[in-house]
Amino acid sequence: MTMAQLSETNTLPRRKPRPRGRMLPYILSLPALLVCIAILVPFVTAAVYSLQRYRLNLPYLRGFIWADNYIDFLTDPAFWNTLRISLIYTALTVVLELLLGLGIALLLRRPTRFHNAVSIALLLPLMTAPAIAALMWKLMTNPGFGILSYLVSLFGVHDFKWASDPSTALFTVVLVDVWVYTPFIMILLLAGLRSLPRQPFEAAALDGVPASFVFFRITLPMLAPYIITASLFRLLDSIQQFDIIYAMTQGGPGDRLMVFQVQAYLEFFQYTNVGRSAALLMILWLITNILSNIFIKNWLRLRERAHGHA
Amino acid sequence: MARLDINAVGKSFGPVRCADGLSFAVEPGEIVAVFGPSGSGKTMLLRMIAGMYEPDEGDILVGGQSIVGAPPERRGVGMAFQNFALFPHMTARNNIASGLRARAGNEDVASRVKSISKLLKIEHVLGHMPRELSNGQKQRTALARALIGNPDVLLLDDPLRNVDAKLRYEMRLELPSLLRRSSAAVLYVTQDYREAMAIADRIAVLVGGRLVQLARPEEVYARPASVAVARLFGDPSINLAEVEPQVGQGGLSADVAGTRVRLDSGDRTGAQGPCWLGVRPDDLVVTRNAGDDAIPARVVAITPMHERAVLLLRFADGSEWLAALAPDAPVASADDDVFVRFAPESALLFDRATGLRVGQPDRRQAA
Amino acid sequence: MDHSSLAGRIFRGVALALVLVFFMFPIVWIFLMSFQSNEQILRIPPHILFEPTLTNYQALISGQLRTTAGNLEISFMRNLVNSFVLSSAAVIMALLLGVPAAYAFARFKFRLGESIAFTLLSFRFAPPLLVLLPLSLYYQQLGLSDTYFGIVWVYQLIALPLILWIVRGYFEDISPDIEHAYRLAGHTWREAFTRIAVPLAGPGIAAAGLLSFIFCWNNFVFALILASADKQPVTVGALAFVTASGIQYGQIAAAIVLSVTPTLLLALYAQRYLVEGLSLGAVKG
Repeated sequence: MTMAQLSETNTLPRRKPRPRGRMLPYILSLPALLVCIAILVPFVTAAVYSLQRYRLNLPYLRGFIWADNYIDFLTDPAFWNTLRISLIYTALTVVLELLLGLGIALLLRRPTRFHNAVSIALLLPLMTAPAIAALMWKLMTNPGFGILSYLVSLFGVHDFKWASDPSTALFTVVLVDVWVYTPFIMILLLAGLRSLPRQPFEAAALDGVPASFVFFRITLPMLAPYIITASLFRLLDSIQQFDIIYAMTQGGPGDRLMVFQVQAYLEFFQYTNVGRSAALLMILWLITNILSNIFIKNWLRLRERAHGHA
Repeated sequence: MARLDINAVGKSFGPVRCADGLSFAVEPGEIVAVFGPSGSGKTMLLRMIAGMYEPDEGDILVGGQSIVGAPPERRGVGMAFQNFALFPHMTARNNIASGLRARAGNEDVASRVKSISKLLKIEHVLGHMPRELSNGQKQRTALARALIGNPDVLLLDDPLRNVDAKLRYEMRLELPSLLRRSSAAVLYVTQDYREAMAIADRIAVLVGGRLVQLARPEEVYARPASVAVARLFGDPSINLAEVEPQVGQGGLSADVAGTRVRLDSGDRTGAQGPCWLGVRPDDLVVTRNAGDDAIPARVVAITPMHERAVLLLRFADGSEWLAALAPDAPVASADDDVFVRFAPESALLFDRATGLRVGQPDRRQAA
Repeated sequence: MDHSSLAGRIFRGVALALVLVFFMFPIVWIFLMSFQSNEQILRIPPHILFEPTLTNYQALISGQLRTTAGNLEISFMRNLVNSFVLSSAAVIMALLLGVPAAYAFARFKFRLGESIAFTLLSFRFAPPLLVLLPLSLYYQQLGLSDTYFGIVWVYQLIALPLILWIVRGYFEDISPDIEHAYRLAGHTWREAFTRIAVPLAGPGIAAAGLLSFIFCWNNFVFALILASADKQPVTVGALAFVTASGIQYGQIAAAIVLSVTPTLLLALYAQRYLVEGLSLGAVKG
């Protein structure tokens, strides 16, 4: 190549890099920016709605009532029920899935052919649409012909109503959640376990350290970042659970399973109370936002480790 | 055929100054080794020439035309990377040809790939993917890719870093003629002073982003511009002692470990006050006989190194020097008491405050 | 670490068997059920051995569902087609938008890029209804509600963060020197992007695309709110299907099998990348 091709750029001894080169990253990320705006605009709108009296069926009453939607919640038993149910649901599912997922990951820890096959098979529930999974369990728990109803009847429990009985509804949806999402924890922890360095374990084995000590003092601490990330993932999704509960019972029986998003959905579409629905979701967002800030920090640390750079 | 001019180039990353007023030129067909410790700004200089970074100040010209701000593909610069940077999804042949396809038409791609790979002895692996190549073959492929486009400027970023010792030795012999064939202005970054001396016409020594010396290899070795350069060149590295030379009868002399030693009898008017005395291990003579200018020492240890015997010597004041002796020299054994001397003209003196070499250039040639 | 005692091995074997039964049984059972007639399903106790029948699938495919209340026309196949169209379109769009952006985020460290990446990430964990409910009102004004494009656009909220964060990791793993080398050989950045970066990140791009497809397919709430019957994917369609009165259970099971089969097959195909995808690139499998 001859320098004549560069003649257009040779007049000044120094110049700024070409503007096109500078703009390139912005041009490339423009579409992603548009999607961001498409998220942020409705989000701000929701925040504004939450400060308004806004009912779709009574448009004339619309106006700012500021914090009133929120203040009303304080004395509203339905809100406290929603908060309580959401927290119980979240706590139950996350704890059960974490214990079960950790246990299964430990069982499958050695990378044998059989263990790998099992871990792949366990992905299937996770890849089933949660709404469809709820339907599967609905068929299996049908009081008339459901296989699970039949099985419990073998143990002398007749007339077990599963999701349609207020006393067992929570148990049933938690069971479905555990069925779908335990593999999520399992697969992350399994990847974590298998990535741990070997030396500490070999040293402990040589020294004859008891297995329980190895587990609590070596395995768990080294696995902690994976456990924290996986649990936070689940925590954030679980507190917003909608698909399973809506597909299974639509929040019922009664208000037994009225978690945040189901309640907000019904406020919006059944009672057309946009303001109240938005306020409910803002509270949920506040909770998840605090959690996700913790989450992102942990997640970034893991990511750096995975990709080997800052 | 174009000259590479680097004009007062400066570059900072935050508080770190990785290029500071760099100025020098490389003639077409000339090989200049850029030598310096890691972090001295060698690679950054190459990357500014290649267009991956732009200098904050100064200008870079190829054939008299500024290339600052031009995109990398239009600079007429070829580069071989330390980590080879081969395209992992292309065969060696396509890796080499990638340079030509963009510049030239398809007309003689095949024949040029063939001739360059013959030159570099990689004809038999042209159909291989990079992962199937040995490190040496990767290195040659990367060189072929950089050479094939006949760039005006050729940048080699420590190309022998990741190849084994035998191959490095061979390439040191082959590279100069190979590079001169291209008539490009070549900048060759290395951290190995032997490599720099074997390959380059001139050596540019960079320390902390500054050019501290630019001279022919033997000159850098014999007359290092500063104590820093002296320490970078030579293995085992140069022996240093704090001295305060005085001009007396018989010329310049100084106390070294309690012994009065004659330094060069030439004009050393600048060499007064606190100095570093530097003597290369190769220039030391170890004898069992006392005498003028002979410093008593004890042999602490002996170890072979680069086909020489290296003696670790301890003087009476506790300071330690190294002496490198030819293997056939009568070698003392550990714990022997010996005497050390060196020719006055092999002594280098550096100002202790500035680190710069003081005194007139002497007559010595590189060993 | 490994229990080598006999008791330990027995315990592990039993535990693994229980785990497999719990997680596999529902899938197997529903699969069997989809080949049974209503009479066979209602038998008590249930039989493992039965004469399989394809009538449930035939009814679904023909759209003519025989019910106790007479014939019912339900276009379940239409839901299935919708799922394919919506998920594929969403993934293609997300790849076209997301891959260049992921490249920009990986190669140029610029503040706007980080802000976008983290906004998309943090809204991955915000309640979807928070964005969806106001969006549904905007959609009504814009005439986007109940359009394929409208649904594909909101599916970007699922697919784009996934693609951005996974593909970005793959681009970051490519040494920039490889691209520099290509540019010095006389190619523009665009050529370096399409001929070096994209092919080298190919496995990551494919994995992110497959995963996005699975997640779009499995999504429920977006379409529940924004789509009416003729645009609905299977997740919403199947639910409507169940609540329609008098439908035979075998047909529901068959509908479930048809709804989950594509994603399960894709998941088995892409299982090597699932760990990375599920953790948005934080854990490598």
